[in-house]
Amino acid sequence: MALSKPFISLSFCLTLLCLVACATVQPWERGNLAKPQMALDPYPLQSALRAHNYGSREVAAGSNAAQGGGCGCY
Amino acid sequence: MGVINRTAKKRYFKASLIKSFDKLRTNGNLLGSAALSPFVVRLSNHLCRNRYERKQQANRFLKKPECNSLHALTAAALVLPGLMQPILVNATEDDSVDFQYSHYQEGKRDIYQGVYFSDLTAGISGINGSHKQSYNNPIEVDSVHGSGRFSLTDRIKFSFNYLQDTWSGATPVGTAPALLSANGSYSPEIVNSGASPYGSPSIPTVYIDNKGNMYGVKNSFIDGSNTIGAQSNQITHVMSYASPETRKQGDFSLSYDWDEAAVNVGGGISVENDYESRFVNLGGRMDFNQKQTTVNVGVSYTNSDTFAKLDPDSLNFISTEGYDEQYFDDTDGSYKGYRPIAGAPGQIESDYTSLSDGGNFRSSAILHGKRQDWGTQLGLTQVLTSESTMELGFGYTRSTGYLANPYKLVYFLSGTLNVGDDPNAPILYNTGGGARLEKRPEERNQFNWNLGYNHYLPFFDAALHFDYRFSHDDWGINAHTFEADWVQPLGTGWTATPRIRYYSQSGADFYTPFVKTLAVNDPATGEKVNSPYTREAPEFYSSDQRLSGFGALSGGVTIAKQFGKGVSLETGFEYYTHQGNLKIGGGGEQAFADYDYWVANAALKLNLEAAGAPGSSTGHISHHQHSNSPAGVMFDHALEKSGDFMVGYRYMRSEQAGNMLLGSHSISPDNTRNNGCGDQACAVAPKSMVMNMHMLDLMVAPTDWFSLMLMPQWMDMNMDMTPLSGFVSQTGHNHGGSTHNHQTGGIGDTGLYALFKLFDQPNQHLTLSLGGTAPTGDVDIKLRTTSSITNKVKNVPLHYGMQLGSGTWDFKPSLTYTGEADSFIWGAQATGTKRLESRNSAGFAFGDSFQGSVWGGYQWTNWLTTTVRGIYATQGSIRGEYPAVYYANRKPPQEFKLIHVGPFDKTNNYGGKFWDLGLGVNINIPHGTFAGNSLKFEWLQPVHTDYNGYQLDRDYTFNFTWSYGF
Repeated sequence: MALSKPFISLSFCLTLLCLVACATVQPWERGNLAKPQMALDPYPLQSALRAHNYGSREVAAGSNAAQGGGCGCY
Repeated sequence: MGVINRTAKKRYFKASLIKSFDKLRTNGNLLGSAALSPFVVRLSNHLCRNRYERKQQANRFLKKPECNSLHALTAAALVLPGLMQPILVNATEDDSVDFQYSHYQEGKRDIYQGVYFSDLTAGISGINGSHKQSYNNPIEVDSVHGSGRFSLTDRIKFSFNYLQDTWSGATPVGTAPALLSANGSYSPEIVNSGASPYGSPSIPTVYIDNKGNMYGVKNSFIDGSNTIGAQSNQITHVMSYASPETRKQGDFSLSYDWDEAAVNVGGGISVENDYESRFVNLGGRMDFNQKQTTVNVGVSYTNSDTFAKLDPDSLNFISTEGYDEQYFDDTDGSYKGYRPIAGAPGQIESDYTSLSDGGNFRSSAILHGKRQDWGTQLGLTQVLTSESTMELGFGYTRSTGYLANPYKLVYFLSGTLNVGDDPNAPILYNTGGGARLEKRPEERNQFNWNLGYNHYLPFFDAALHFDYRFSHDDWGINAHTFEADWVQPLGTGWTATPRIRYYSQSGADFYTPFVKTLAVNDPATGEKVNSPYTREAPEFYSSDQRLSGFGALSGGVTIAKQFGKGVSLETGFEYYTHQGNLKIGGGGEQAFADYDYWVANAALKLNLEAAGAPGSSTGHISHHQHSNSPAGVMFDHALEKSGDFMVGYRYMRSEQAGNMLLGSHSISPDNTRNNGCGDQACAVAPKSMVMNMHMLDLMVAPTDWFSLMLMPQWMDMNMDMTPLSGFVSQTGHNHGGSTHNHQTGGIGDTGLYALFKLFDQPNQHLTLSLGGTAPTGDVDIKLRTTSSITNKVKNVPLHYGMQLGSGTWDFKPSLTYTGEADSFIWGAQATGTKRLESRNSAGFAFGDSFQGSVWGGYQWTNWLTTTVRGIYATQGSIRGEYPAVYYANRKPPQEFKLIHVGPFDKTNNYGGKFWDLGLGVNINIPHGTFAGNSLKFEWLQPVHTDYNGYQLDRDYTFNFTWSYGF
């Protein structure tokens, strides 16, 4: 838990900073954000596959449990 | 982009926006993870009233600001990710169909064995030091993933995923000191390779001093006394090989969108031989602040059952302590067997085999466990500047029930120290009672935080993605993940994305390579006494390397190419290395647990709207791309004109069940047992056999009169077998009696064909197909064979019919005639397979085959046709055979005769002559949401079967095809 508290604090600060301090980005200024390379996940099929591999090899991924995905008992 | 000034600039701006908007729509998945994570995000569709309007909006958005693409872009930029990693995602905004194949391959692992030492003159033998060896047959996994996403109405979308994994290979079942020789002992004189199938130490004792140093035990066979051998502190994984197994998962998601909000509900199921999991999820999204901020929430529930058959070969060597206990009759004190312990995390159901002396032993045990997982997630996506966005997320998962892995063991070493003895001297420990099933807490609370940052770099036109995750749970595991990728467009539709990832976790509180207990006794009374040297067994224990402290570094690259007509290809490669010394801050597990893997994948993505959209540059959907022949008929048409493209999916399932046949007559189990396996008695007969084939059908027309077709395929097979009466269980391929099951799956042979229009009139066509298949499917899949440690054999090849390919280059010509008049259709086809090699790499070749069929059909409306087909097929028996298998360590070499054989292990029990009647339905969708799609179904009912030799009767074959031409 040692690292989590500073992390939470940091997250909150960043969030507040954005909500309060960031200038409004007008819709017509978001052209670059709409490009495919700026997609939050440009390759969702591969991401799913990689997440499944990590999830069966690392204990922290956790997402398997919440979304099915089977035992991965190998 | 700055402020828009005048008309010229506006035009340029508009054009570039439209372009990026189109791209965005194709790649809108970013937001994705909708299928898995409970969040559904839609970029832009909800901004306009209907789909037509959306298509047109690019032309009008300057005039109609209330429905403009800019607004859509903002929405896009805001879309929310799931907090957690997306799994099985396919959330492309447009209607789309995707296929993906991947291969996971682990590297060989190092294992260690005790060095066997023998001095006949001194009368001493034992273990003296340890020896390193590379263990073959590492884990490999083949996965196939298909998904589709369709708009049911303007605001309602439906998506589904289907995923199938097949894996096989050797995996660690536990960890032990090398001196225990649980992987077998090593002797310079005797070649003795491979792991013990039992996970049982060959030498059950070891000396350990109170600093943890370990020494071999040398035993005098003159007086039985023990002496201390050479030191080795090496510990090792104990490996066990598993025959192939398959997992299948299907899930769906349904979403509804409002203008600035969405809800989503989804669910699915994952099924394995020994594990079943069902899950549902619910999610919602809200946009704020002109979509500059988006918040989403989700909740999910998973319910899973484990029903794992404990390895019957190991059953006598492992301990189920902590799960059940032996008990005795209250009145006469006789041994009754095992009974579950109340409150144990899993319940073991045991079966017993009687012995001739009246006693019994446990011959089979199934571990049943139940597990529930609740997950909640909260996420925020924020546009920071015109070039950067940020994501924040928090997730909490609570898991309860049986959380252990039923196949993982923990070695218990127990020692005794007598009061008065030197506590610093090495003490003899032994593994009496066998390795125990691991035991984990029945509750786990896991928290995840993630922070993502995405930045656009105008100079490169590239995007940098950075992601950090922290995970904490009440098992004592803290994990950090850092991930970065750089998405670099290269022009003409190409994109290259290098990626790097680092992961580090601390070990769980109850992780231990093995457990050491020490009892301190008073030698006078023999009673235990309290002492500072006493070490009790822990309540929970696991040696699963996933719970140890380690770090992992991985990196790879993804190459994507976007073609016209809404088709894109992606391929990726990643290398991953797991090492104890990569853990942040050090202190990770020792190097014996290190391993690595690589994974390669290829995906085909089809955007149906971009491909067939009315008014799009690619023109209308051609209905002539589809033939009206029954689903089971391939190679019956070439594409209409040069430049046409067709994508199809073809599925075939066939089942065998019922009686054993000799030729065309049913025979008794006795007849099968006595005559079905040549010079041996059959031990088993097939009870049912299911084969599933998934094929991709990719067709392109370089000229008007000639088309090329590429057909990769995936297969999986499942055979249930029953023992034949009179068969007595013996060593060899032992399944612990009763019915058992074999599975295989993975990539099959790959077909490449050229189709020529020999005769092409409006109502009559003659098509010649020349081509064949390349031997990309495995033909050397092995079954785990267990024999006693002294009679070790290599794994034996699996039944011929369950290998995934032919192993030979095959020539497959085909000639097809089709015709149509009024509402009637008809056709005839002759097709054959000629093996171009007499043996494949595994030593055999399937027989050549020929198939002829004739069909007719009636078109009831413009979308519905029904067909009737008659088929005759013949196939030869197998030529050649698997080479003999020899014992690993006998001199002179001695052949291993598999006792556990069935008729399917004999080459002359393959092939035959077959007559079938097929009934089919073809659906071509001319307009509406699914316009351009064609679906066909055909059921084939065997009419007459005349097998070569002894084979299981046929039940049915089912064909399904989906195709989309543009």
